[in-house]
Amino acid sequence: MSDYPQADDIQAGATKRRKAIEMGALALLVVAFMIVSLIRQNPFAKGADPAKAIGVIVAAGLTLIMYSFLYRDNPLFKIGENLYVGVSLGYTAVITWRDFLRPLVYQPLFEAPTAAALRNSLLHLTVPVILGIVLLARISRKHGWVSRYSYALMIGWGAGVAIPLFTNSYILQQLTAAVKPLQEAAGAQAVAAPPAFSQAWLFGVAGPIFGALVAMIGTVAVLFYFFFSVEHKRFGSAVSKLGIWFLMVSFGASFGFTVMGRLSLLIGRVNFLLHDWLNIPVK
Amino acid sequence: MILKRTIPLLIVFGIGVLAFMQDYVPHPWSTAFRDEMTTWTMVIGGFAMFLGLYSLSHMHITKIRRKMPGWGYSIFVFIGAVGMIAVYILGDTIGPLYAGTANKKSLFDWGYEYILVPCSATVFSILAFFMASAAFRTFRARNLAAGLLLAAAIIVMFGRVPVSENVSLRLFGDGMVIPNLSKAIMDYPNLAAKRGIMLGIALGMISQSMRILLGIERSYMGGGD
Amino acid sequence: MTTNPGRPRHYELTRRIIFVLVALAVILPYFSGRQQPFTPSPEVRKVFEKVDGLSPGDHLFIPIDYDPSSEAELYPMCLSLLRHCFKKGVIPIVMTLWPTSVGIAKQGCDEAAADANSMFGKKVVSGKDYVFLGFRPGVQNLILKMGDNLKGAFDKDYYNQPTQGMKALAGVNSLKDIKLLVDLAAMGTVEWWIAYGTDRAGIPMATGTTAVMAPDLYPFYQSNQLIGFLGGLRGAADYEKLLKIPGRGERGMLAQSATHVLIILLILGANIRIFAGRLLRKKEGLS
Repeated sequence: MSDYPQADDIQAGATKRRKAIEMGALALLVVAFMIVSLIRQNPFAKGADPAKAIGVIVAAGLTLIMYSFLYRDNPLFKIGENLYVGVSLGYTAVITWRDFLRPLVYQPLFEAPTAAALRNSLLHLTVPVILGIVLLARISRKHGWVSRYSYALMIGWGAGVAIPLFTNSYILQQLTAAVKPLQEAAGAQAVAAPPAFSQAWLFGVAGPIFGALVAMIGTVAVLFYFFFSVEHKRFGSAVSKLGIWFLMVSFGASFGFTVMGRLSLLIGRVNFLLHDWLNIPVK
Repeated sequence: MILKRTIPLLIVFGIGVLAFMQDYVPHPWSTAFRDEMTTWTMVIGGFAMFLGLYSLSHMHITKIRRKMPGWGYSIFVFIGAVGMIAVYILGDTIGPLYAGTANKKSLFDWGYEYILVPCSATVFSILAFFMASAAFRTFRARNLAAGLLLAAAIIVMFGRVPVSENVSLRLFGDGMVIPNLSKAIMDYPNLAAKRGIMLGIALGMISQSMRILLGIERSYMGGGD
Repeated sequence: MTTNPGRPRHYELTRRIIFVLVALAVILPYFSGRQQPFTPSPEVRKVFEKVDGLSPGDHLFIPIDYDPSSEAELYPMCLSLLRHCFKKGVIPIVMTLWPTSVGIAKQGCDEAAADANSMFGKKVVSGKDYVFLGFRPGVQNLILKMGDNLKGAFDKDYYNQPTQGMKALAGVNSLKDIKLLVDLAAMGTVEWWIAYGTDRAGIPMATGTTAVMAPDLYPFYQSNQLIGFLGGLRGAADYEKLLKIPGRGERGMLAQSATHVLIILLILGANIRIFAGRLLRKKEGLS
């Protein structure tokens, strides 16, 4: 309660008025939505696909409810958000049964066509199924330690497999690729030997060499920037600064692409509202 | 302690070393071991999905039970979840909507296409608005590094859209100057930075894997030693 | 209007104006009907030419690793790729590493199969002209398993048909028998497919990703671990242009241009305002 009770009353009144206006506007919008939907997506029209028409109306309604968050957080948005979480939960539960438990566990063990198939399933699935059930012990505070056996197997396997694969794909192949343009440009120079400063020399030799050198120097500078075991003094400081510049250009490029990505999602939704819901034809 | 810590650590080490070696051993036993282990980890990993389902359900049930703020909305989580499971169990032919039509889509697919897809797509598309507002408010060229970021962002943003070819044609007589400049930024400085970051991450992941195998990193075991 | 009393009143007003401008920049181009000419990028062209160079009966592996939140960018790519396969008689093998992607993958297969009839006069049948394997858990382990034994990883397809003896999978025992893999991804699966899948199997790989992920792909593209990639809606538009079948990608390009120009003008305007203010204050300080 403030020192100015009259001001509080005025504020409360203004809030009540605002809420009344908002409720009125919401009611009008809902009515307008239903009218527009029934006109543009009449499920009872002759030849209409009622499931699709009702589906599009529901989808458009949910889309607009989600967009109401741009005005402000509101109960309708919260309902839509929680409904989405629930539908996602239910969907994942069904997929877990249909595409995991049923084909990988239930059918091999309980619907095996022959005795030999059942023996084969028991041989290969007994241990992982037991470990899988043991994994669920993680939920219990007292007995959760039992799940460590399942995690140990999965984590050990994952870590062991990752080392050679990551070394090959993310380190060796990348280092090879960093040097290869220089080799190729040198090869082009040796084989074709175009005259210096000609177009062929610029695009076939000098250009690739320059680009490869820029990329290599940049890679080393960026790696050095993240190397904190050595103090970045004098020459190290200059290399580190160069690394920052490369990173800034890269982050700027990433921002540009992020803008593109987010706007594309908006364009997709607007396309749905205009094309699929309102049936406005594309010119 | 032996059952709770030592044996799991030995399992991690043993399986990890075998997993590492199987990549270099072309013997049929090695291939059979890999085949068996991939099946095992697929099955065990599938059970982990139940943990996720349980965790989310438990959170909302607790919210409803304790009548925490916003508990009413959690009811809609279960309306959605039970609804989807129910339409799957009850099958394809519920209701007059499907009677007599050649509609091959089940009500389960309908729920996915007209509830989950629009909600999911819309929630992420809202970011476009906030991103535009944030870019206007905070994107400032305060120093050289920020200026480089800004310049690269503008060139790439402009170079990726078709209008840049029109503008480039009018300014330079060649429609590909600005798009090629954008491409050059991606092909050289961006490549360098991303490669440097990738090498650093790869080295980090390899060292982390080795720490796990050697039992130095034990966070996966959870608490309560 | 504002729920945060700490913010100045004009903050909310500016925010709302920007929201309205962005909305107009997206909506108005839809009604203009104008198409902007553009040149497909070399990265997309390489993917197109690789798919176009496949022979009828070759297999193209398409993991659908995106969920509905990214469908605006990736669904047009999925459709174009599948249509290209059906046009050429190439057999696409579609699967997904994520449970929430199953529905959107099925939707793409169904729509492309229906289009094959209307666009190319071909009736494509699941199990014969394409196969949708569905989902299995395991992510990296599933990729490893498919690298050795594809039918062991998926003994049945999505429609519960056994993969052993399936016509669409004749001659395909593992990833090594695939001619090309194109991962449509919104999550970080591209690196996993490269490390666990295509580098091990020795097969070429391309990818279609959201624009957010595209800058991270350049090291793999330069090292030839990716023969090409489609980045974001522009990548989808480029592929549609090369395929000569327009779709949502091409239709979205005018709106993409308008919104990008708007964002650039907003950023430049804000910076010019700040710098002009600083210059003015300096001049006033000196005089």
